[in-house]
Amino acid sequence: MLNTFIQQVINGLSLGSVYALIAVGYSLVYSILLFSNFAHGGFLVIGGYACYFLLTRLGYGVAVSMAGALIASGIAAILTERLAYKPIRERTPITLYLLIASMGVNIIIENLFVVTIGGRIRALPQDTFPTGVIELFNGVTVSMSDIISLLAAIIFLSLLELFLSRTRWGLAIRAAACDLKTAGLMGVNTTLLIALVFFMAGLLAAVGGIFLSVRYSLYPQLGAITTKAFVAAVIGGLGSLPGAVLGSLILGLAEMLTAGFISSQMRDLVVYSLLVIMLLIKPAGFFGRRVLDKI
Amino acid sequence: MLKFISKINIFIVILGFLMAYWPMGGYQEGIVILLCINAIAAMGVSILTGFTGIFTLGHAAYMALGAYTTAILTVRYDVHWFPALIAGGIIALIIAWLIGIPTLKLTGDYYAIASIGLGEAIRLILENWQSFTRGSRGFPGIDPYTTRIIAVAAFIILAIFMLNLLNGRLGRELKATRDDNIAASFMGFNTTMSKMKALLISAFYCGISGALLGGYMCFIQPSMFDMMKSTELTAVVVFGGLGSMTGTILGSAAITLIMEYFRDISQYRMLIYGLLLVLIMVFRPEGLLGSREIWEILNFKNLYKNSRN
Repeated sequence: MLNTFIQQVINGLSLGSVYALIAVGYSLVYSILLFSNFAHGGFLVIGGYACYFLLTRLGYGVAVSMAGALIASGIAAILTERLAYKPIRERTPITLYLLIASMGVNIIIENLFVVTIGGRIRALPQDTFPTGVIELFNGVTVSMSDIISLLAAIIFLSLLELFLSRTRWGLAIRAAACDLKTAGLMGVNTTLLIALVFFMAGLLAAVGGIFLSVRYSLYPQLGAITTKAFVAAVIGGLGSLPGAVLGSLILGLAEMLTAGFISSQMRDLVVYSLLVIMLLIKPAGFFGRRVLDKI
Repeated sequence: MLKFISKINIFIVILGFLMAYWPMGGYQEGIVILLCINAIAAMGVSILTGFTGIFTLGHAAYMALGAYTTAILTVRYDVHWFPALIAGGIIALIIAWLIGIPTLKLTGDYYAIASIGLGEAIRLILENWQSFTRGSRGFPGIDPYTTRIIAVAAFIILAIFMLNLLNGRLGRELKATRDDNIAASFMGFNTTMSKMKALLISAFYCGISGALLGGYMCFIQPSMFDMMKSTELTAVVVFGGLGSMTGTILGSAAITLIMEYFRDISQYRMLIYGLLLVLIMVFRPEGLLGSREIWEILNFKNLYKNSRN
């Protein structure tokens, strides 16, 4: 019983760390543009496939493939913003249009992969990351890929935090999160800033995508899992980065504990129930800003 | 305006008779049925999103509730399809009422996010309640009660009811709530109640639409009513024009026909659908008719008078 509990906590933290990488992307975009970018799942799939093709077809090493995947996904995010969101943003302040367009982009990316390379399930090569299982005690195990994904999440999220708190652009992004328009008036190049934010979100999505495709496998619909990362971002408070991480860990733990003690079919139900309960109790999430209606 | 409403009523009835009795082949008949089913669901979402300003991304769940209620009543309990159909709408309405009490207090994006969660939760409950709904394997063997005449009749009755409802006190009440919640409550409207009314009507319409879909497909599955379907419903309403019921009906018809046209190249169908969503949002976010009804656009005399003032 205790062993199952510890095992599921470990699994939950590992899953939560992957969610955190994705949820932070949702929160980053929301903090600047105030809409939920559902194309995020598409960026994740692009990252996963870019890594797969660089590794298997072009034969690059793991490091180069990962870097290529991150950049590919980041560029896809910038292009999406330029082609789909910018014209809408300039025309109307209603964020619902952006939200529907982002769902459209997600469908486009998913089906581009279905049409061009087929919907068949692929797996990254076995030797991408060190495999192997470490036994802690009494049959409680940690797989190497879990440790690596946890480490990668910590490294990337720390880098993001350092970037936001220590650099000039980080300061600009934090200012824009308070008020995009005023930040623009203060001399921040908002076009470049939004591109940068989307690039970072795409990059983190690609990291999440690579680890998800190691954990499960790679298929065009893999992006659907980002809905759960989105739920995590909402639970933590949309627009708040620490909130996104906290929400992801809570969600990962809740999911794995449900799978371990109740039934793995109830996992998703628990996720969405948590979302609704959180919204009813505290709509702004743990760390979110509550935006009141203006009279 | 009343004159135009009654003209529109007559026009819809004539259109309905043409749709119901015009001789056509089985394939065209299927398209007419689908047009009616989609238009009913779109009207339901339109009264909530277009006229009350509450964005939803979970209304496919009400379709699922209607579809499953009717299917289970007709197949398991041998109820005649008509009371079962009404029961489907009413179950959707009751669930919407239970959901609406706590969630309608949420403002702006938060209701939309909550509706995603609730929609998915309802779908997952249907998927996991194996003994009652047969889970994700789907529910087969539903009587094909949705014939062309029944689908068209349902559409005509619900469309006329909706248009007249919106042209009366309720329509003004909802629009006031949408345009300025606080001002509307100062005018003496109970805005929470008006939002609830809109939600109940929309859930009922979606329930009926889902029940008709079950009778048309003879098979339903929880995955037919996922978040994608919910998005489609809201996208159709936005495409038709927020605050325009006739626009919603036209938009729903346009999307249904475009998607039917590409049925042969099913591989590219979803790709085209995604492109369509983005292109509509980029090039015509105000929708086909904006916030005007079709008679306000076709009424040239009125237009002339307005431009003179």
